[in-house]
Amino acid sequence: MTPSFRLSDRQVGLLFMAPFIVTALVFMAYPVFEALRMAFFSYNPLRPDDIRFVGLRNFEFILNDRLFWDSFYQATIWTLVSIVFQTVLGVGLAMLLNQSLAGISIFRGLLLFPYIVPTVVIALNWRWIFNPEIGVVNYALKSAGLISENIYWLSTPDMAMASTILLNVWKYTPFVIICVLARLQTIPLELYDAAKVDGAGAWRRFLDITLPHLQEVLVVVVVFRTIWTFNKFEEIYLLTRGGPGTSTFNLAVYSFEQSTANLRLGVGAATGAVMMALLLLGSIVYIRVSGFGREEKAL
Amino acid sequence: MTVRVADIAGCVRRVIAYAVLAAVTFVICFPLVWSVTTSLKPKSEIFAYPPTLLPQEPTLENYRALLQGRATYFQGGTAAVTQAAPSDYFVAWFINSVLVSVGTTLITITVSTLAAYSLTRFQFRGQRFVPYFSLIGYMVPSIIFVFPMFLVMVDLNLTDSLWSLVFGYVCITLPFCMWLMWAFFRGIPVEIEEAALVDGASRLQVFRQIVLPVAFPGIIAAAIFSLIVSWNDYLFGRVFMNSLENMPLTVGVMHFFEGTHVDWGLMMASSVLMTVPMAILFMLLQRHLVAGFGAGAVKG
Amino acid sequence: MTKKEAGRWTGIGRRDFLAGTAALAAGSAAFPAPAIAQAQRVARVWGEPGPYAGVFVQGMNEWAQKNAPGLRFEVETIPWDGVYVKLMTDLAARRPPALISVEHPIAFQLMAEGLLEPVDDVAQRVNAASRMVDGLKLEHYGNWKGTQFIMPAHHQGHLLLVQTDVIQELGLGDPNSWSWNELANAAKTVSEKKPGMAGITLALGRNLCTDYHFAALLHQAGGMTYDAQNKFEVAFDSPATVEALEFVKRLYAYMPKGAVEYSFLQVVDQHVTGKTAMSFYWGRTMGRAAEEAPAVFAKMEAFNHAKHPTTGRRSTWTDLQGWCIPKANNPYVKEVKEALVYVQNSVEWGVKYCHSLMPNVAPVYKDVAAAADMPSHPFFKTKPKSVETYFTGYVPNISSTANELLRGANPLAGICHGRSMWAQVVQRVLIENVAPAEAAKWGAKQFEEIRRENIRLVL
Repeated sequence: MTPSFRLSDRQVGLLFMAPFIVTALVFMAYPVFEALRMAFFSYNPLRPDDIRFVGLRNFEFILNDRLFWDSFYQATIWTLVSIVFQTVLGVGLAMLLNQSLAGISIFRGLLLFPYIVPTVVIALNWRWIFNPEIGVVNYALKSAGLISENIYWLSTPDMAMASTILLNVWKYTPFVIICVLARLQTIPLELYDAAKVDGAGAWRRFLDITLPHLQEVLVVVVVFRTIWTFNKFEEIYLLTRGGPGTSTFNLAVYSFEQSTANLRLGVGAATGAVMMALLLLGSIVYIRVSGFGREEKAL
Repeated sequence: MTVRVADIAGCVRRVIAYAVLAAVTFVICFPLVWSVTTSLKPKSEIFAYPPTLLPQEPTLENYRALLQGRATYFQGGTAAVTQAAPSDYFVAWFINSVLVSVGTTLITITVSTLAAYSLTRFQFRGQRFVPYFSLIGYMVPSIIFVFPMFLVMVDLNLTDSLWSLVFGYVCITLPFCMWLMWAFFRGIPVEIEEAALVDGASRLQVFRQIVLPVAFPGIIAAAIFSLIVSWNDYLFGRVFMNSLENMPLTVGVMHFFEGTHVDWGLMMASSVLMTVPMAILFMLLQRHLVAGFGAGAVKG
Repeated sequence: MTKKEAGRWTGIGRRDFLAGTAALAAGSAAFPAPAIAQAQRVARVWGEPGPYAGVFVQGMNEWAQKNAPGLRFEVETIPWDGVYVKLMTDLAARRPPALISVEHPIAFQLMAEGLLEPVDDVAQRVNAASRMVDGLKLEHYGNWKGTQFIMPAHHQGHLLLVQTDVIQELGLGDPNSWSWNELANAAKTVSEKKPGMAGITLALGRNLCTDYHFAALLHQAGGMTYDAQNKFEVAFDSPATVEALEFVKRLYAYMPKGAVEYSFLQVVDQHVTGKTAMSFYWGRTMGRAAEEAPAVFAKMEAFNHAKHPTTGRRSTWTDLQGWCIPKANNPYVKEVKEALVYVQNSVEWGVKYCHSLMPNVAPVYKDVAAAADMPSHPFFKTKPKSVETYFTGYVPNISSTANELLRGANPLAGICHGRSMWAQVVQRVLIENVAPAEAAKWGAKQFEEIRRENIRLVL
């Protein structure tokens, strides 16, 4: 091959980059830009011929809508509780899975499994097994003598919130496990041996060795999970549709309902814009604490 | 003496560890085990109360119905069997989901591998913004842009086409895969490549013969991620697709909820069939997944 | 600002922007295109869940085979809670279905938005006005400012479904003679005397079904949401609303606790599995019970609702469902009209339509109702009284949110249903323990807002 046929490095670089840039612009940057633009329009999807610029009216609308604030508050509760459970359980189980026990790899496989189960499948499943009258969960609890009255898992605001949180914890704790496990496997065992010689107990060793090593990955995981959980749609929509009442609405469900049932795409988009702003805030936190973009970090 | 105490303590610890693991595994697997057993029950037994743990008369009828269709309604009088039942479409939905996930994965992997390689090996203007862009793209939930994106699809005349789903899912998977591949390429020393270049190999040869094999585990992790996301999505399918025959599985199976009638047997059988392909893939490639996710974080 | 101006405002029109990239997007095609292109012309028809729309479409295809080779009508079943997503995406995508059958409040909304094709010509050719069964008028199905936009398909009202054995055993009398008090007492007695069985079941979740069930009680009490005869002023903040809410609250004590999340499905589930002595429902429960629970079916009977003690009304929320044709971007208007005429003129298809889900969809045309084939369905033998009530006996009690007490079409109802407004009011009382009077006020405020926002539709 003669050098004259060669592309310069810069050209190869741009050539390799081009598909990404095109895809990113057309299918990512542009829709997000459109989403933000739509927030300033009155847009009834039944009447695409009648779209009007309304300035900040959509934002005024949501800020004055009690349901928006309810959704905001509920999203916060659902996120905080989910994250606490996911993190604590995730770290605990990851440590359990990090032991050298016979057959541990089977357990590892099984415990990570929920992460790949489609949300549709698990939501339907839960509606089936948590059915208050004929569901197997109430039956099992009753037979075990733990409850005497059927539990209405999805019928009271508190229980419905608890159930959606339970689903979220069930499905995404494996995410925490995967990340923590990967980090745990890199902690040198000698550190623990040395600590043992020094007479440190299990709890001390956890605080002095394990936790500091996990600190970084935990921050990353918690920030990411917080952002995603806060904006989750399918888990809630498929399990409770935001009900009973509007007690499990979060901003994503609120935005979807405004866009479809209420035929106010603009209001839905304004909600999206608020979510986007919160998310940018989260990203800044993440970039600060993780040192994202600095060359020496792999994350 | 002390040795034996330590032995016993170790033994007890192990027993406790196994007990905890077994309990957690049970909780985690139970919903899925319950789908499997329900899917094997005949209709009369599905609603039996108290519920039976194992099917008393196991049957594959629900699976047969998914492959061959089953009428949903009570019929009588002059009305003969009238219209296709939702279950008639199950095979089509399955194929759609396979096409869409594979298509998404191929595009995502190609685009992200090329871009990540370019990012780590070449210098050009604006380069440092790409990771930030990926990060934001990685965090933005699809609910924010699903409707504008739908309008884009309208203008491209792609609504109700599987292509719209492919492009939709590429948006979700690309930022993360880009990021993952970026982390991988940065971990691969450039010296070997430079040596090959000095020996007269072209960039493309280097890329194909040296870089790709080393990056293979990363590619696998990114591919699994992309397959999982596109196989599991519900929102885009719900908004973009219209015709029964073009739906992906996740949206299609919702038609077994017929307003006043839910065919739980079909529902559970399709849950099982929806989960199995991912489960097999997961079992086979689990090692790479943990290694790959160790390099970045995972979207979920 | 119109859409075009909006594009100018940002400097880029979406179409312009995408024109250049469309080729690129399509060009990146590296794997075989999935089957989306079809040589045959397919006209999509929306129907609600159930087989009847499918039967109708079969009839349309019979016409197409003879008169429009290469054209096929295909039914798409739209789940009740998915109507709006489908509507908005399909209309926004400018690919509406060729023909729609959907609950009439939503159809009325489309009608008032000016999205529908007039069907006066079809009505004339099938002689609809003079064929209507007693008590119903063609206009009830969708007439706006003198133009007919919707052709009748069926009528379906929900009734009081009763397990008669339970009522007899407890000596609760004849449900036909009940007023609200006796109904509540019957429910109370059952829930006390029959362990594991609820007295009565209504849908009380945040959904359409709850809207319908509550609207029936509201209308029985003589209340209304909007006054169609007075510029659609909101009439919801009234003693009748409070009374209806109080009654729901009273009945709720004898319902399954989970009723506050129930929709269509769960009410039927409860009844068919024998977990409730009574429920409010349309004809489907009976069809499903016949198939799945013969013992329940054997003792099941449908009655007109218990009458309100002072107004004496037995109103029921009735779907006067029809066929409507989207006007814009619909290449099949002509063919659809022809096929509509063909099927609606056929008594045979009319009977098949009704038989496809007995006794859920009652015939609208006299000749269909009186057809010789009609009684060939087994339900005419096993459940003659219930069938009679569902088909004709309840007709004097017809009411609906989109035509309250038959005082005139109200397109605002579609929007209110989209937001499950009535259900939200009910849930305020049951879940948040808001006083009925306060909930009525809150509801009135919401309805007022909807009116203000959409006044252009009605005035």
